[in-house]
Amino acid sequence: MVRPAERAATDIGTHTTGDRLRRIQTLTDTELARLGVDEMLAEMLERVRDLLEVDTTAVLLLDPSATFLVATATRGLEEETRQGVRIPLGKGFAGKIAAQKRPVIIDQVDHSNVMNPILREKGIRSLLGVPLLVGGDVIGVLHVGTLVPRAFTSEDAELLQLAADRIALATRARMTQAERTAAAALQRSLLPGALPSVPGLELAARYVPGGGGEVGGDWYDVFDLPSGRLCVVVGDVVGRGLQVSVAMGRLRSAVRAYALLTEDPAELLRKLDVQVQHFERDVMATVLCAVVEVDQSVAWVASAGHPPPVRALPGQAGELVAVDPDPPIGLVPTRRRGAHAVELPVGSCLVLYTDGLVERRHEPLDVGLERLTDAVRPGPAEQLCARIMGRLIGNETSADDVALLVVVRPGDDATAPLRLAEPAEPRSLRTVRQALRSYLGTVGASAEEMSDLVLAVGEACANVVEHAYGPGGGLLEVHLEMHGQRVSATVRDTGAWREARGVNRGRGTTLMHGLVDEVHVDRDATGTRVVLEKTLGGKP
Amino acid sequence: MTELSVDAREPEPGRWEIALAGEVDLDNAGAVEQRLQDLITNRARSVVLDLGGLTYLDSAGLRTLFTLANRLELLQVGLEIVVPADSPVRKAVQLVGLGEVATIRTD
Repeated sequence: MVRPAERAATDIGTHTTGDRLRRIQTLTDTELARLGVDEMLAEMLERVRDLLEVDTTAVLLLDPSATFLVATATRGLEEETRQGVRIPLGKGFAGKIAAQKRPVIIDQVDHSNVMNPILREKGIRSLLGVPLLVGGDVIGVLHVGTLVPRAFTSEDAELLQLAADRIALATRARMTQAERTAAAALQRSLLPGALPSVPGLELAARYVPGGGGEVGGDWYDVFDLPSGRLCVVVGDVVGRGLQVSVAMGRLRSAVRAYALLTEDPAELLRKLDVQVQHFERDVMATVLCAVVEVDQSVAWVASAGHPPPVRALPGQAGELVAVDPDPPIGLVPTRRRGAHAVELPVGSCLVLYTDGLVERRHEPLDVGLERLTDAVRPGPAEQLCARIMGRLIGNETSADDVALLVVVRPGDDATAPLRLAEPAEPRSLRTVRQALRSYLGTVGASAEEMSDLVLAVGEACANVVEHAYGPGGGLLEVHLEMHGQRVSATVRDTGAWREARGVNRGRGTTLMHGLVDEVHVDRDATGTRVVLEKTLGGKP
Repeated sequence: MTELSVDAREPEPGRWEIALAGEVDLDNAGAVEQRLQDLITNRARSVVLDLGGLTYLDSAGLRTLFTLANRLELLQVGLEIVVPADSPVRKAVQLVGLGEVATIRTD
């Protein structure tokens, strides 16, 4: 008696079923495009409930460890999500669907085939479930249930699988996006916003995420030790994505904690290695740790499988420092690690980085390292950073993320630098010009050199005023320094730079290049820096 | 605002001599452009623009001069720009190639 009645209802409903199916297929439409995972799932489950005329629907997603399904969205079964139901993979109704990657139909729910007590207590009599698959991988399960007995057909299963495929794709896309956003936010929050101010040393750093905008596990850190020494760290957790960023955050914290227990970088890395091998099964990282003595004349450097730092002595080109690396963190138990003394005479600099800076596909590593040592020469830290990024990254997008940290011990012959911070508004340009003329007058610039520099710096400043900030405004920072006869000017903003609008805007760039010896522009998440350099009194 | 004086004379009907003195930058370039447009009427046949009194001229100011040159070419009004050899703005004028759209004189 039941079968014929159902049959008739289906016939009458054929047209509506088609409509409802269409509603499922439009899942990826613009209507849903702006919804987050939760809202999208809620909306979809409502449509599935309509389509199959069922009482309950639920989506369970596989947790990151791939051992549990977690109830994520439900209709008619709200207890499941509220109680955070977890079903082990391979167990019970949903667990089997996920493990076997195929639909399961249960005509009569009982203890033997359903693990989850909520389904039984709710009075669900029949169940149909299908896997959520993306490219053959299970990401979860979609199931529907009825409060009266129902014999789900293979057509029902096909229809539900169709809906599940849409849901799986939309869920994966949203989760990937959400993960990227979270990872980028995490990375930003973990990198020191402003480096500490250390008398006698100049510090500058860069971090740029790799191609595709996905952040990896690179980090840098600089902090004081209780003794007055300075600890400088650059590290790289292997891999990319949110999990790797989170692991990076833990390693960074661990390094800081161990630095309070030992100021020997080799011992610090040994402790870190023990910690990672105990708690972080899947984490591997390379780390370079340097501790600068209180008198700043020497740094003790220890390497856990990290690329060697580059040092440049006054008036000389950069050279790789032989640090004889020990194994990476998290790889093999390593009983002994070593530290090497690196002299840092006045006027020298030390450059720490991650491999994204020097590694290029289809190119031996030596080529990248040579390019780096060529780019390093003693000079102000910001300028050095800008030169390195300009020469090694330029306009390319590095496949891997890049962290760079520069420690400079400036010479004491330099004229005191000029530092200006003005509101990024057109009327500030005049103020900046006046300060520049006065400074350049005291360092002996000729009239022509003065107008060249004032105009070049003025152009960089005008760019900041026009392009760096939204209506809220921001700061225009100008920094001038002398190195022998060489003037280094840095113009910096902390805004999200946008492309110039309108026509005829390329002239500012033409002017800058025509007026000074070197122009470097580099941008990262914290803003844009333009570095201009010119040697006074002709070429040296 | 950035300071600039504009001295305009019409020594004979339709012939304008305009001398700029001071600085032109992003701050006042828009105002300078407006001022020049107001001065140069339809009756003008030729314009001599003297930059000898300028101590600063940035790309925003140069943009104004390019716009002026293009407009005057359209109106078939001759444009000569005077930039003395020792002018602080001479290098900028040369670097961006203002000579491509107007006659540059050094006197």
